[in-house]
Amino acid sequence: MENSSIIRIEKLVKRFPVGRSEFTALNNVNLTIDRGEFLGLVGPSGSGKTTLLNIIGSLDTPSEGVVTVLDNSIASLSHKQSSKLRNRHIGFIFQTYNLLPVYTVYENVEFALLLQKLSSNARKKAVTDALEWVGLTDKIKSKPAMLSGGECQRVAIARSMVKRPEIVLADEPTANLDSKNSHHILQTMKSLNKELNTTFIFATHDEKVMQYLNRKVSLEDGQIVKDELMKNSKN
Amino acid sequence: MIRFLLKGILRDRSRSLLPVIVVALGVFLTVFMSGWFQGIMGDMIDMNARFSSGHVKIMTRAYDENSGQAPLDLALLDVASLKKQLYVEYPDMEWVERIRSGGLLDVPDENGETRGQGPAMVTAIDLLSPESREVDRLNIPDAIVKGELPDQPGETLISDDFAEKFEVAIGDEVTLFGSTMNGSMMFYTFTVSGTIRFGNTLLDRGAIFIDIKDAQLAMDMEDGATEILGYFNNQPYIDEEAMALATSYNEKYSLEEDEFSPKMIRLAEAAGMADYLAIAENMVGMMVFIFIIAMSIVLWNTGLLGGLRRYSEFGVRLALGEEKKHIYRTTLWEAVLIGIIGSIVGTIFGLALSYRLQAHGVDFSGMMDNLGVMMPTVFRAVVTPSMYVVGFIPGVLATVMGSALAGFAIYKRKTAQLFNELEV
Repeated sequence: MENSSIIRIEKLVKRFPVGRSEFTALNNVNLTIDRGEFLGLVGPSGSGKTTLLNIIGSLDTPSEGVVTVLDNSIASLSHKQSSKLRNRHIGFIFQTYNLLPVYTVYENVEFALLLQKLSSNARKKAVTDALEWVGLTDKIKSKPAMLSGGECQRVAIARSMVKRPEIVLADEPTANLDSKNSHHILQTMKSLNKELNTTFIFATHDEKVMQYLNRKVSLEDGQIVKDELMKNSKN
Repeated sequence: MIRFLLKGILRDRSRSLLPVIVVALGVFLTVFMSGWFQGIMGDMIDMNARFSSGHVKIMTRAYDENSGQAPLDLALLDVASLKKQLYVEYPDMEWVERIRSGGLLDVPDENGETRGQGPAMVTAIDLLSPESREVDRLNIPDAIVKGELPDQPGETLISDDFAEKFEVAIGDEVTLFGSTMNGSMMFYTFTVSGTIRFGNTLLDRGAIFIDIKDAQLAMDMEDGATEILGYFNNQPYIDEEAMALATSYNEKYSLEEDEFSPKMIRLAEAAGMADYLAIAENMVGMMVFIFIIAMSIVLWNTGLLGGLRRYSEFGVRLALGEEKKHIYRTTLWEAVLIGIIGSIVGTIFGLALSYRLQAHGVDFSGMMDNLGVMMPTVFRAVVTPSMYVVGFIPGVLATVMGSALAGFAIYKRKTAQLFNELEV
């Protein structure tokens, strides 16, 4: 696949109202992300990582500037269009997994496809493939409560990957995992990144994640302070 | 998606069990109370119809205006020909004549001197004709405490309370004092064949039942009656039909200028019955309304608690590309589903209890000794076709309203704000 830029951010400013004044979470951010990157937004809490991730994921809109994701200007998308963008092209992985507790592993992964109105057979194949990628085919009937933290996060990865999105946004995906599970998860994501050319964008301050990144964008007080390519990343 | 939501509802008991129980309970109460209330009101109306007003009642216009005094001098005459005419014009009805009158019942001692006296409410009906259904209509066999039904002229049934008070035994003679239709004094001696108690003060206080022929003879009312009652054959009272009947009859026979011309009134027009009928008609609607409000408030709170528990689920669904209005809509569909399940459960239990109380009833006679209203002492439910569906109105409406209120925040919030609040 061609490694063209799929996310373009120009002069992005994001302000939140705080009482009668405003808090600037992102200030004049410029960033271009190519297809297939394994990129980390790093920085301390409050630096704007999650806000930037939410805007890229079309869950939020810029106050100023332009954010274009897969040729869609985030600011001009309607509710329906932004939902469709997330549904078809963007996967999310959360720090706390956020699996639906009453559903099985299979159903949790399948849920992402229900909104796409695929046939039952197509869904079954996609779910099985996704669970194979993360090595959980033997747990399809298990409920999240029966899984370890690492297994839960692998289910979350399968859920984000099952629709084969171009972009996966992961907010502190290893924060609740031990070292061994963190590396296992990161290796899984790295291999999917290579195999499917999926763009992974992390918001993290976990050193373990940084070891796997191809590119590290450092944020401080809502501004990009460093943007570096990581030549010695794992895998 | 529907199957997915259904699985969630079935597996997540906190999301389904409590709301289903609340709805089932509310629907159960709605259905049962509706059946029981309709049963009581129906029995009350039926009792009034049987004892007092018929489904329609014909009197002279003058008697109607003074009916509280039961004035014999304003009674109907030529009753036989009136009835014959009624049967020709309204063959689907049963017509019976009755005489109501007040009087004094005198109990003599062995010397023929007065041993005791008490006021008497005379009801004269056709007690002796083999084809008469009056005895069964008034349920007299079940009301007999001692003795038996009169089987020959000159016999009477008197109130058991009266008989006990004045120590009247079966076979004793009692004398009825009163006035004839012409205003002269009336004395007529009857033999007590039995005593009766209906369990209702209005009926039992000084009640004396005599055959209509005896009454006509005693009161100089040959071929006369204070009223002719009409009953729909084998069907309950229907106000629209009664109104049509009364209107057509009055247009034909009731003359403004002739106070002795007959006038037909329907049960709803008889004293106080219009109010009872209005209450009966409106009570079910009022109950449904009350249960909708009460259940909505409970289910609103249940929905809020459920919503709090499912915040992260909603957040994930937003992130996966589900529109917030779709999420809101699915919560409403879930509510409809829960409402239907709860309504089915509640309706089954409500109908079961109603059927049981329709068959057996609950005897409140011990608590109604001094009741001054003509109503039954055994309260029964009645199962009507509407009861199969009436519970679904509060059941489904309340769950949908509760969920709609609880989920309104989802619909109104901006996606970004909601996503942040959803703690994903």
